[in-house]
Amino acid sequence: MASFTPYTYIQCPCYETISRTRSSDGTQTPSSRDSFEEDERTFDPRAPRSNYCLYPLEYLLYCDVCHQIRCPRCVSEELVTIYCPNCLFEVGSSSLKTEGNRCTRSCFQCPICIGPLAVQSLESAPEPSLLSADNANSSAPAGPWILTCSYCNWNSAEIGVKFDKPQGIFAQLSKIRHGEDHSRSTIGETSPPARSDTVPDTTKARFAAMKSFYSAQNNNSTTGSGLSGIGDYGLSSPGALSRIMNIYSGNNTGGIKQKSKASMMREADTPNEGFRLSDLDDSAAISHLRHSGWEGTVTRDQAKLQVEEGARFADELWPIPYLLRTKRSKRCPVCRHIISKPESKVGNTRWRIRLVANNSIPSITIKPLQPSTPSTPGVAPLSGILRPLQPAQFILTFKNPLFDDVKVTLATPATTPGRFASRVTVLCPEFQIDANTDTDMYLDDVLKDGDKDRRRQRGDESSHQAEAGKIWERGRNWVSIVVEVIPASLRQDAQQQQQQKSKEGEGKGKGEGEEPVPDLGPLKEDEDILEIPMFVRLEWEGEASNDQVGTGAGKEKDAREKKELAYWCALGIGRISQE
Amino acid sequence: MSRKQVKGEYIETDTGNKVARKAILIGTQHIMLGGKTVIQAEAMIRGDLARTAQPSSGAGGAAAPGSNTAVAIGRYCFLSRGCCLRPPGRIYKGSFTYLPLRLGDHVFVGEGSVVQAATVGSHVHIGQRVTVGEFAIIKDYVRILDGSVVAPNTVIPSFSVVAGQPARVIGEVPEGGHEAFELRELYKTVGNNPQPLPV
Ligand SMILES: [Zn+2]
Ligand SMILES: [Zn+2]
Ligand SMILES: [Zn+2]
Ligand SMILES: [Zn+2]
Repeated sequence: MASFTPYTYIQCPCYETISRTRSSDGTQTPSSRDSFEEDERTFDPRAPRSNYCLYPLEYLLYCDVCHQIRCPRCVSEELVTIYCPNCLFEVGSSSLKTEGNRCTRSCFQCPICIGPLAVQSLESAPEPSLLSADNANSSAPAGPWILTCSYCNWNSAEIGVKFDKPQGIFAQLSKIRHGEDHSRSTIGETSPPARSDTVPDTTKARFAAMKSFYSAQNNNSTTGSGLSGIGDYGLSSPGALSRIMNIYSGNNTGGIKQKSKASMMREADTPNEGFRLSDLDDSAAISHLRHSGWEGTVTRDQAKLQVEEGARFADELWPIPYLLRTKRSKRCPVCRHIISKPESKVGNTRWRIRLVANNSIPSITIKPLQPSTPSTPGVAPLSGILRPLQPAQFILTFKNPLFDDVKVTLATPATTPGRFASRVTVLCPEFQIDANTDTDMYLDDVLKDGDKDRRRQRGDESSHQAEAGKIWERGRNWVSIVVEVIPASLRQDAQQQQQQKSKEGEGKGKGEGEEPVPDLGPLKEDEDILEIPMFVRLEWEGEASNDQVGTGAGKEKDAREKKELAYWCALGIGRISQE
Repeated sequence: MSRKQVKGEYIETDTGNKVARKAILIGTQHIMLGGKTVIQAEAMIRGDLARTAQPSSGAGGAAAPGSNTAVAIGRYCFLSRGCCLRPPGRIYKGSFTYLPLRLGDHVFVGEGSVVQAATVGSHVHIGQRVTVGEFAIIKDYVRILDGSVVAPNTVIPSFSVVAGQPARVIGEVPEGGHEAFELRELYKTVGNNPQPLPV
């Protein structure tokens, strides 16, 4: 069995907004949301919807106006910069509209393995990517040039593509591909017969041909009406659309004037107009398959990565221009404040705004508590593997990032939800974590003594005892506590017994009506993971936020206000062994 | 080179480098360490693969003229057991030459990984058993997952998570994940006087 790394996922409040705006009339404000009675609700981390709201802490942002967690799913993103991930050149949003979402310089991926392609002279020894500056003054090898992959050794000569010059490969390639350039005729004998040069054969080229044909048709038929003259945009004028609709629907009620015009138009019927008869004769493909075999066909992934659809054989695969990438800023979905904004330059890795949740809510780390005297000697505890029905203890460490002391209150259901109910006991569900006073390591030792005095007064020093109501250990800005679990047995008979027991027993855990018919199906994926839903409530006194208009003017510098944040999280403790 | 002559597992230099006695450094005159870098046992740095051809004007790169550094490493880098840093080489003006390999600050190289990149930025995590092909350019804040093979000449932009063979971008480093690249704490956990990792 693979080893298991414990995890903590935190639930974003957008989970509630969805379920609640459906039930209520959707007039809730952030403040009323906070006052919602959370204690009544339970949370099943295995519920299908939970998939969409549970995130590791580092993926979460924190809106300091709403005082709420925000996740990648609910923030609204805005493009800051668009760039090519290979040449790292910035692309303007206007050229994005005209040129598309791929790099139009010389950046290509191998169609076979997606490795980067480099431009090389076909004649001379391999020369690395032309992106390196020192290539310019090297004794320039003569063309023709090809794209080569140094990972799988594919090169563009295999599909009969060679270039006259080593720059502007994108433009040269699209010329070759869309049949406007006849440079390929020199190497025509190696190219497959399916691609003849005269006729536009790619979807894009055919669309362009068809569009220009119909635009021309449209212009001809409307020359008198004054609606024309928009050239390329002829098709998007409303008049043109209604005329086309008339053609296709056969609905000529639009009047005699339109009818006469419609009759002047004809359909595309030659290959140059983008028209293509379906080739129902597959014998060429079959013989190709016979020649090249399985090896010569494309994989699903290769076909999917192509810019144009329809490649079936490896020699129909073209180099893939790199998809552009973006830098994005993020806004809070509720108050619309920007909560994350990177610097716009591609090479700059700093952020103007970066309100991350791990500066606002404690991190939770999980590690097994190894008892000094193992209860079952001889059995070495496998990492992350839990033995069914054997109590196991774990240390949860909460680390406070805030500059204020935080009171933490935890709540978990007595048994985990789902088919296999493991028992969960948090030994110390209420504790205080000291402020993240100073990160300076040299001061740390000096502060320690003072801290100890405070703790002695409070009477909650590190106990190193798994005792109810006592914390395990305490540090500068962290506290660890013990959680005890009794993993459920994954065997079906044991499961039934346990269900019966829990129903007869104190009646907590599963509600009676919840699962009338026990599901005795086989173990589902990751159903053997012991996952604890835990409700975390934080209370602290922080600097009063000044976002409200009309808060006491002047002296609010030192104003403190009570703050509170509560959320669910899912703690993955370990895998229950299937024995 | 070493100030403390106590026989520990590591040699600790004035600039805070911790070099395991069993590390394999070849051609040390061509290796530059920025300080506070950990080099574990059996990690290998091929400083001997220095540039052979004289750099022409404009092709010298950022290296100080005459120094001929083969491997330059920044501060707080961590080279795990059994990894290898090897300058990339190619034919240049008709003859074969090696070109320098540069690592930024806070670069972690996992066990058994081989790095032949041209440059590795700062705050980069390279997992275990990774191969970084020749002349790859890895920008800042990049995480390369275990077992990846980064194809030669690959450019990996900042905030990328890459994996696979050949490696491709499979995700973005989240905003809250930047601090995880810091190696200051890890630096303290090794050496002749190792400290436990803080909570
Ligand atoms: Zn959310
Ligand atoms: Zn590019
Ligand atoms: Zn390839
Ligand atoms: Zn907000």
